[in-house]
Amino acid sequence: MADRRSTSPRRRAPSAAPSVPVPPQPTSPDLRAANAPLVDLIFPNRSPNGNGQYEPTGADLDRAAGFGPPAHDGQHRRRLFGRRRAAATTGYRPVMDKPVRRRRVLLGLGTGIVAAGGVGGAAALIAGGIGTASSGNTRLNTAAGLGAAGLADSPSAAARIAAAATPAFPTPLTRDAELHLLRRATFGPTLVDVVALKQMGIDAWLERQFSPQNIADPGGDAVLATFPTVSMNMDALRVALKDNDNLAQDELGRATIGRQIWSSRQLFEVMVDFWTNHLNVQNPFDGGSDSRTAYDNEVIRAHALGRFGDMLAASARSVAMMRYLDNASSRKKSVNENYGRELLELHTVGLDAKYSEVDVRQSAYIMTGRMVDRNSAFYYDKNQHWTGAVKVLGFAHPNTDAAQGLEVGEQYLTYLATHPSTARRIAFKLARRFVCDDPPQTIVDRLTQSYLDNGTAIIPVLRTLFSSVEFWMSTGLKTRRPLENVVATARILGVTPGTKTADGLDGIHDMLNQLGHAPLNWGPPDGYPDVGDYWGSAHATLGMWNSHRQLVLGSNKGLTYPKPETFVGLQPATVGQYLDTVALRLVHQPMTAAHKQALLTFLGAKNDTAVKDLRLGGKVDQLIPLVLDSVYHALR
Amino acid sequence: MTDAVEPVEPGAVGSGAVDRGAVASGKGRHRAPSRWTLSELRRHGPNLPEAALRVAADQVTTHLASEKARWDKGFTRRRVIAGAGAVGVAALGTQIVTTRYSFADPATNTRTLVVVFLRGGMDGLSVVVPTADANLLKARPSIGIQAAALLPGDSRFGLHPQLAPLLPFWQAGSMAAVHAISSPDVSRSHFQAQECFERGTATVATRTGWLDRALTAMGPGSTFRAIAEGESTPRSMVGIEQKLVLDGIEAFDLRSTGSTSNRDKTIAALQALYTGFDHPAAAFASTTLAALNSAHKIATTPYKPVGPYPGGGFANRLRDVARLVKSKVGLRVATIDLGGWDMHTNLGNVNGGDMRNNLDGFAKALAAFATDLGPSLSDVTLVTMTEFGRRVQENGNAGLDHGRGGLMMLLGGGLVGGQVHGKWPGLAPGALDNGDLAGPNDYRDVLGEVLQRGFGVGDLSKIFPDHPYTRIGVLR
Repeated sequence: MADRRSTSPRRRAPSAAPSVPVPPQPTSPDLRAANAPLVDLIFPNRSPNGNGQYEPTGADLDRAAGFGPPAHDGQHRRRLFGRRRAAATTGYRPVMDKPVRRRRVLLGLGTGIVAAGGVGGAAALIAGGIGTASSGNTRLNTAAGLGAAGLADSPSAAARIAAAATPAFPTPLTRDAELHLLRRATFGPTLVDVVALKQMGIDAWLERQFSPQNIADPGGDAVLATFPTVSMNMDALRVALKDNDNLAQDELGRATIGRQIWSSRQLFEVMVDFWTNHLNVQNPFDGGSDSRTAYDNEVIRAHALGRFGDMLAASARSVAMMRYLDNASSRKKSVNENYGRELLELHTVGLDAKYSEVDVRQSAYIMTGRMVDRNSAFYYDKNQHWTGAVKVLGFAHPNTDAAQGLEVGEQYLTYLATHPSTARRIAFKLARRFVCDDPPQTIVDRLTQSYLDNGTAIIPVLRTLFSSVEFWMSTGLKTRRPLENVVATARILGVTPGTKTADGLDGIHDMLNQLGHAPLNWGPPDGYPDVGDYWGSAHATLGMWNSHRQLVLGSNKGLTYPKPETFVGLQPATVGQYLDTVALRLVHQPMTAAHKQALLTFLGAKNDTAVKDLRLGGKVDQLIPLVLDSVYHALR
Repeated sequence: MTDAVEPVEPGAVGSGAVDRGAVASGKGRHRAPSRWTLSELRRHGPNLPEAALRVAADQVTTHLASEKARWDKGFTRRRVIAGAGAVGVAALGTQIVTTRYSFADPATNTRTLVVVFLRGGMDGLSVVVPTADANLLKARPSIGIQAAALLPGDSRFGLHPQLAPLLPFWQAGSMAAVHAISSPDVSRSHFQAQECFERGTATVATRTGWLDRALTAMGPGSTFRAIAEGESTPRSMVGIEQKLVLDGIEAFDLRSTGSTSNRDKTIAALQALYTGFDHPAAAFASTTLAALNSAHKIATTPYKPVGPYPGGGFANRLRDVARLVKSKVGLRVATIDLGGWDMHTNLGNVNGGDMRNNLDGFAKALAAFATDLGPSLSDVTLVTMTEFGRRVQENGNAGLDHGRGGLMMLLGGGLVGGQVHGKWPGLAPGALDNGDLAGPNDYRDVLGEVLQRGFGVGDLSKIFPDHPYTRIGVLR
């Protein structure tokens, strides 16, 4: 019987005021020195070539996915993840220069920007925090302030100001500035990162991260070598997809995890994740088999540290976005509003801009004509472009000439990208990602201004963010979501590629999928929620605890897992010292006495019990996951 | 050059895209206290869930004014009442869910809705068969089922003989069917049609699934109130309500802990690691540990079903649902998928073929489920749905291509059973929709009736916002 199974549907789903004293600051462990060779890398790019006009029907897409009448050989295509392909020649093309868009650009002043009210080295302390409210309500109201606020001359200056201030919401995490920066600007600290950052200093480390192309990236290269479709141009992709339509999208999801774990360009990967969710296009989705990878490379990665205006414009010319939000099926005589709506609601100004349904329709009109041809290339069809005067919020254009419709769209996108509501939304999201779930208005306003002052350029906004005292006051106020938790676990354990890296990452991907947080796999266009409460379910919590055991024990074969007993280095004399070392190694700080006692009880030992073997009679396999289950790893 | 795409009306389902768009639910974010004693809480209402809801509602009013994050509308913070875990199964991991609540009759808050999605587009005309229908038999020379082979259904329809294990339930009134079911999606594309069914709205602008909105309407409950039996969250459950995704209750456990005593020690250590500080992480951990405790109790109690189940994943998952229903952990909604219905070829007839094989496993598993539940069957409503039916005319491969009107089946308590309900348009050529059985019955009318009459849900417009509900009469 031919396999006619229909696929399952596309999966296309802070808090209380603590009362714990801040734990003592740990001394840096003596660790190996960082290695930092310099090699330039050029991001791969590809240019689809296409001619003709063709839009696959739903039936075509179904057939491509394996439904419907069988292919001529009687076999339905099945997902064959892991099937090796002959390495196709990957054509690397240099990043093409994008034409400069007409926009108003106020050149930023770099790190010299000083917000009104905040001056250089002087602490701009704002009494922050809300004490216990009435009626015994001890909830966290971080929105009103974290204990100190203001813009400093540099990130390290801001960190110094914060270190001298008292947090309104202390958490169990150490306030060590370098660790805090690594927890926020990377997918989790590693030994190498900690040493490198402490040697380089905060400012130099950040500046280096702002130029990822100057950072050697053997880890990222290894991922690209494992998943060749991720770097393929359209021609090579067509060959690779012949026997397995899902290959590129499958590889992209797994490669994303791999890069988050192993790339040296960590801030870049964090921003790729941020923008991927902001301009969400689910992976996989039907229509993405030959377009989603290019979206990742040409829209997100090409502009993740560039300008949002450029990213938005690129998304509006991407095959994946045009398909995902139905703009490729939008016709002059039958306009599909989906993209026009989401462009306003999610990509740019948002509901707060109070646009109307008329605006939505006009937005859709403006974007008509942006189509996809039979070779899965983007093209502009003036015959499908709706003409006539258009007006959306403060943007108006006579739009009389269909041949100029693409340019009208470009102007509209520029208007949206530089709109203050867009700035506010992006600023808020950045603050939510990097500071806390309910960020103080002070920093949101500051980032908004920076975005507008710098013509939507992202790096100046990040400089402002890291130079803000609020950032350094927010230690431990974010909860690691499942993806962040799993990746941080792999990073701190030192899990590395192995003999079957693809299979190993496939296992991690499945693990994350079950937790509902496989990267790129959020169905609707609004991206994964970025607040702790959404993920605070028994399901996700248990899943993260189980993932710790899986990664410590090396259940996903194919990767290289350090043995748990190696985390203590030289054999400590007592169990107490063993636990202290392990805590420093894995969560970068000593645990409280009570938490340490919990682990002593688990081991059936006392603080001064002698250590007879590094494996603690086998219990180390369970001890290490417990350390990762603790609150010190759960927060960031 | 082919312009092969049908013009798409704005707001209708487009081609080649998955869900996206806004839900204008405008839900506020409320904050509940992180530490209340149960006695304090009880003072706020006649019972614990209502008290919790009132407290949460008060705080919504206060904090709506400071709501800033409009783009996470549709998402509300939930807080766990610390200490609720000590009270009993129903309060284990009690979560205050959202501001939308229904003060439903407590009796209706104990039933379980099981949604079985038959993926691939099941041919309803082969399962609940119009008896001796001349049009049908003429169109299906090899796969049409003769009247003599059918099991008795009702005055117009017979049942496929492979449904024999379910016949006693049909005849006892515990099983019913609604034919000629459709959704607003006309694409006849698997993905889009499934999307539409699971989204519960015509517009692609809805981000949540209908079951997520139904869970909101059903009100708060235990950690086990929504379970997707399988490996991932189905589209119908996407949204803010918490749900478990597991393949069997044994899967809800800490794994790789070694021996039993090691497991117990690990749990004790986790308990201690999350004591002594005031942070949501501690609350989430408490809930998780309490839920683990319950799940472990269930999983380690050997389960003896009443009667044998057939093998296979579908039967295993039904068995798990039955176990959870009988364990009274507060299971309100469960989902299970069953695929293999996309029978373009080799559909077969009563003596063999894919339909017979599929129905065999399907019916045996469902019958075992109903038998196993016994008297608890009246506390359950199981609904099957499929993304579309199939064409009336068989194709050149003795199979059927995608059609329109599909079949929904119901099993459980409170049904007007032993009958096929809804409008029946018939199979005369003039009555067909592009050659397919038409779909005059909207699936949301079936689901809405189930929710209203089976689960005490009052306002269906929040679950199926763009659909005016009409009662079909499948439930008493």
